Amino acid sequence: MTINKGAARFLVAGTLLAGCAALLPHVSPWPVPDFVLGLLYGVAAGCVLGALIRWRLPEPCDTATPALRRRYLREFLPAMALYVIALLFSIWLLKRLDHVALRAVIALLPVPPVAFAVRAMMRYIRDADELQRRIEVEALAIATACVSLGYLAAGLLQTAKVIDVPASVAMIWVFPLVCLVYGLAKAAVSRRYA
Amino acid sequence: MLSRVREMRERKGWSQGELAERLEVSRQTINAIETGKYDPSLPLAFRIARLFGKPIETIFLPDGE
Repeated sequence: MTINKGAARFLVAGTLLAGCAALLPHVSPWPVPDFVLGLLYGVAAGCVLGALIRWRLPEPCDTATPALRRRYLREFLPAMALYVIALLFSIWLLKRLDHVALRAVIALLPVPPVAFAVRAMMRYIRDADELQRRIEVEALAIATACVSLGYLAAGLLQTAKVIDVPASVAMIWVFPLVCLVYGLAKAAVSRRYA
Repeated sequence: MLSRVREMRERKGWSQGELAERLEVSRQTINAIETGKYDPSLPLAFRIARLFGKPIETIFLPDGE
């Protein structure tokens, strides 16, 4: 079973990042913060998952024209890079600030870059080919339904004191979970049209 | 819905990619229409009919006809 070019790129990126995360504590002259290692391992895991999805992706899953795909990446990747920078900066600054209003502004710094990433996704869906648009919208509907259902179930379990997830963790994970289920649902939905 | 898109495309000697280019959709969309896995939108169905110079009802037929 051969691996396609897109999946191979993801796999190489994931392996390199995991390698960096494993080596960094041994070669760095300064102590490496857990957050940085966690970020590296997290992005590496995301790349490996991306490779897996890309590898098993049916053909109709991505029928966008090269121009549309380029525009999407040109808008999406800088927004996500800015998000990581804003998040790191905001975490660093929040440890040094006490003023509530200022803390609110700093805490919300990563939101605008994510809003730009969402805008990029919406523009991609709007300008996609009609079959592609149907696949994307169906996958989004499945993702929002699954995540909402999961959160409802978790909320009921938390009310019954069976689980105890901190509210901040639960809220922060909504968007990444929707994105993850969206990707998986897209692969499943597009199989119907293959 | 049944479609005669494949038959008409082959009669013109076009590949799926060529037809897709003329209709400004992806090749995968043409493939899904030809294999009956996807019913095109009304505007796309009209574009297909215009391209082949045939009435829409002679290209797309309800199931069972």
